[in-house]
Amino acid sequence: MIDKVKNGFEIRFPLYKLVREQHNYLHVKVDMVSAMDAIVMAKTSLGHNVLQLISTVDRIEDGVFQITWILENYGACTVLLISADFPRENCLVPSLSQIWPAASAFEREIFEMYGISFPGNPREGEDFLLESWKDTPPMRRDFETEEYAMRVFGERQPREHIDPRQYVGDIVGEWNTPMGRKRKEEK
Amino acid sequence: MYCNQPPEKPGNKKELLEKITNMARANSLWVTAYGTGCGSIELRPLGTSRFDMERFGIAMRPTPRQADVLIISGYLATKTLKRVIRVYEQIQDPKYIIALGSCTINGGMYFDSYNTLNVLDKYLPVDVYVMGCMPRPEAIIDGFSLLMQKIKDGRAHGWKHYKENLDYYRENQKKIITDWDLPDYNW
Repeated sequence: MIDKVKNGFEIRFPLYKLVREQHNYLHVKVDMVSAMDAIVMAKTSLGHNVLQLISTVDRIEDGVFQITWILENYGACTVLLISADFPRENCLVPSLSQIWPAASAFEREIFEMYGISFPGNPREGEDFLLESWKDTPPMRRDFETEEYAMRVFGERQPREHIDPRQYVGDIVGEWNTPMGRKRKEEK
Repeated sequence: MYCNQPPEKPGNKKELLEKITNMARANSLWVTAYGTGCGSIELRPLGTSRFDMERFGIAMRPTPRQADVLIISGYLATKTLKRVIRVYEQIQDPKYIIALGSCTINGGMYFDSYNTLNVLDKYLPVDVYVMGCMPRPEAIIDGFSLLMQKIKDGRAHGWKHYKENLDYYRENQKKIITDWDLPDYNW
């Protein structure tokens, strides 16, 4: 099943990188310029016409956002994942909302959580999950969550930690148990 | 001899009346059916036949206008806090708050989250805290009986405290709700 999809990719995008392959699952990586072409090709000629999810990973070490489009073909029961790396600074990714209207919601969520802009999305910038967020987008890895929580929600009483051995150690020493006898011998 | 003695004074009439009304209030706690976090899952077995909270006179109400207890069940997001304040201020006096779980006490496992507040006491007056993650229905019943005892003793006046220190609460609430669109007065 998946061989057909793989062949289709090999003909049109010879520079693609295979990430993972299973009997009904294919994960490929293409460069950022040909990402949109690959998605449109997968929809029109490979039959992967359902957009399941757009997911994002912040790869701060490489300075990129890895965006993955998960496309499914319900007729053939195959899943195709197309990934592409986009530079982290002023990240712009073409919108898919003209092809799949449902993509608009995913893109709004990514815009809110990572600050990635999708030019072409008619509803970009509307509140999705967060209301009037003014700080760095919270899912970016350069966002200091703990520092933010301390600043906004204030100090909290931390949990007390008691070492059980230290706490019951002296009592255990007096008990007539294997552990207690051992401790007596040690003394 | 008994008849010659003057009858004992029943004390201040108002105080006695307050005592009787408190007794009535304690035995008919009506709860707003509003779940904020994971803890509201524990309210379902509490309401149904196994734990059956109606034997204590506790009933669920669909609207805050008919209720006098608000249960903050678990973690509270900043977005939810806005709705909770709206619900709380619509409840008629006297009103009480029961807070469930360690999240409302000091943040619990979400202490460093970007959108859940840590200490609920800063934003709303809490009468009874029930600890646990999550508290079982038995623990919630225990919390309710504690609240009943507090009402009978005339010690459950969180709502009075909220009215008197409205500026303090409003200041804290506005600190985390950046798009404040509630009225500054208390309903």
